Amino acid sequence: MTRRHHPLGRRVALAVMVAVGSLAGLASPAMAHEGEESVPAITDVQEAIAILAEHPGSFPVAEVAEHAMDKVGDALESNDTRGVLLDLVQQAKDALDGGRNDDALTLLERSIGACPGAPVIEPENAPRTPPPLSSPCPSVAHLQALDRTPVGGAEEPVLLAVSAVLILAGLALARKSR
Amino acid sequence: MSERAGEETLTEPAGSTIRRRFWDALDERLGLKGLQYPIPEHANKLAYSLGGLTLIAFVLMVTTGIYLTQYYNPDPTVAHESVRRIITSVSFGKFVRGFHYWGAMAMIVLIGLHLLRVFVSGSFKRPREANWIFGVILAGITATLFFTGTVLKWDQESLEALEHNIEIGKLLGRFGFWFSPSFGGISFLTRLYVVHIAVLPFLFTLVIAVHLLLVKRHGMAPSPFRRGPEPEPTRPFTKHLAELGALALMLIGILTILAVLAPPPHGPAPIEGIEITKPPWPMLWVYPIEDWVGVAGILWATLAIFLALFLVPFVDRTPERSPRKRLPMMIAAGVVVATIITLIIYAAVQPVASHIGMG
Repeated sequence: MTRRHHPLGRRVALAVMVAVGSLAGLASPAMAHEGEESVPAITDVQEAIAILAEHPGSFPVAEVAEHAMDKVGDALESNDTRGVLLDLVQQAKDALDGGRNDDALTLLERSIGACPGAPVIEPENAPRTPPPLSSPCPSVAHLQALDRTPVGGAEEPVLLAVSAVLILAGLALARKSR
Repeated sequence: MSERAGEETLTEPAGSTIRRRFWDALDERLGLKGLQYPIPEHANKLAYSLGGLTLIAFVLMVTTGIYLTQYYNPDPTVAHESVRRIITSVSFGKFVRGFHYWGAMAMIVLIGLHLLRVFVSGSFKRPREANWIFGVILAGITATLFFTGTVLKWDQESLEALEHNIEIGKLLGRFGFWFSPSFGGISFLTRLYVVHIAVLPFLFTLVIAVHLLLVKRHGMAPSPFRRGPEPEPTRPFTKHLAELGALALMLIGILTILAVLAPPPHGPAPIEGIEITKPPWPMLWVYPIEDWVGVAGILWATLAIFLALFLVPFVDRTPERSPRKRLPMMIAAGVVVATIITLIIYAAVQPVASHIGMG
């Protein structure tokens, strides 16, 4: 895996997210600590999936893994493990430990009954319980999320120049018509 | 006087004469000078151009949408892949999609601000009540266009949005039959695509035509902020159109910059059975309500907002337009807007929660 350089803005954004999360936790200490075990494991797993799936590349891989690991740890310690295959969650934890975020994501999705790789035709028939392990999902075919990266290439400076001309022309016309 | 006018015509440059003849010929056939009817001066302010800008944003959406339809495939098995192809392989695909996305955001913001301006300035009052109703309908169509557009990109967020839509359809009982995936014999995604690219734009065009005709019929509402007994100066409507054109150029420029530097993300291919995303910010205000009262909260909160909007001209019936003299209405609107903004911020910092199929 190649090491990526991440702009300061993303680190700041992550720091803000953590700070807001911490403040939310401070605001309700009962929820922050005493109640962690009472949060259903399926909720923790879904939050871990959200962290891993929605914005890969937005934050350093290690930080994403650490954030997801917290949730996976909470899931494993939860008192309410209905609807979750804990064995797969444990495997996901090992994958996160090994820096294999993609594998961890797939394992977490499967641990709560999702079937990564299967095409979605009509959502009404979505499975809501974990599938038996004897019926594995198709090989992982789902794509990772694409983040906000600029258009790039030769079209980027051209389009930016065009936009500058349009804005200036608009300003000039607005001034002229007053 | 007529001699001087004749002299001026004689000394006019040849290019100018040709241009005038051209416009005269065009006017004779199209009646363009009919657009030079007078409108009050305040109508040329930015606050009074928000409705026109919304319409321009709609035209931009149709234009970029036509481009995207050449490459988008509404078959649910390949829809996500086709969006990825638009982003990664189609010439200007990433830019056009970004422009469409930011244009949709702009349209939502512009129509919201337009509605707010009409409310604050009391422009909905007699005899313009019907036009307020048509404006609210246009806002509803715009929101539905935004929702269906969110579903079409067919990533995880889209699937979850559609699942919520299906749940709400169930709440509607027999009236929600259209939202059932089993209705019609083709996939729900494909039917939503037809709604997004044909039904809603058609309805929008129809209602905006009536809306504009009524604006012409009743004229621009007087400004509540104008003092003094003297009548307000007027300007030809064509000047307003020219200023709108200038604002349109700026809007296109800003949307281009956003589309180039901050194209929208595209989530992972949808996976059934999980709920891991939040809706985009214009729909985020219902997220905490859903947390508190379940999926039904989306339906009731949306209905409540639109019902309140429809009732505005029937509740605020005094002829007074000044916001200072309509304080109860202003406070009520302020509370609603502040609540929506607070709910959006609250939802943004809350962790993701599951709402469907969790008992």
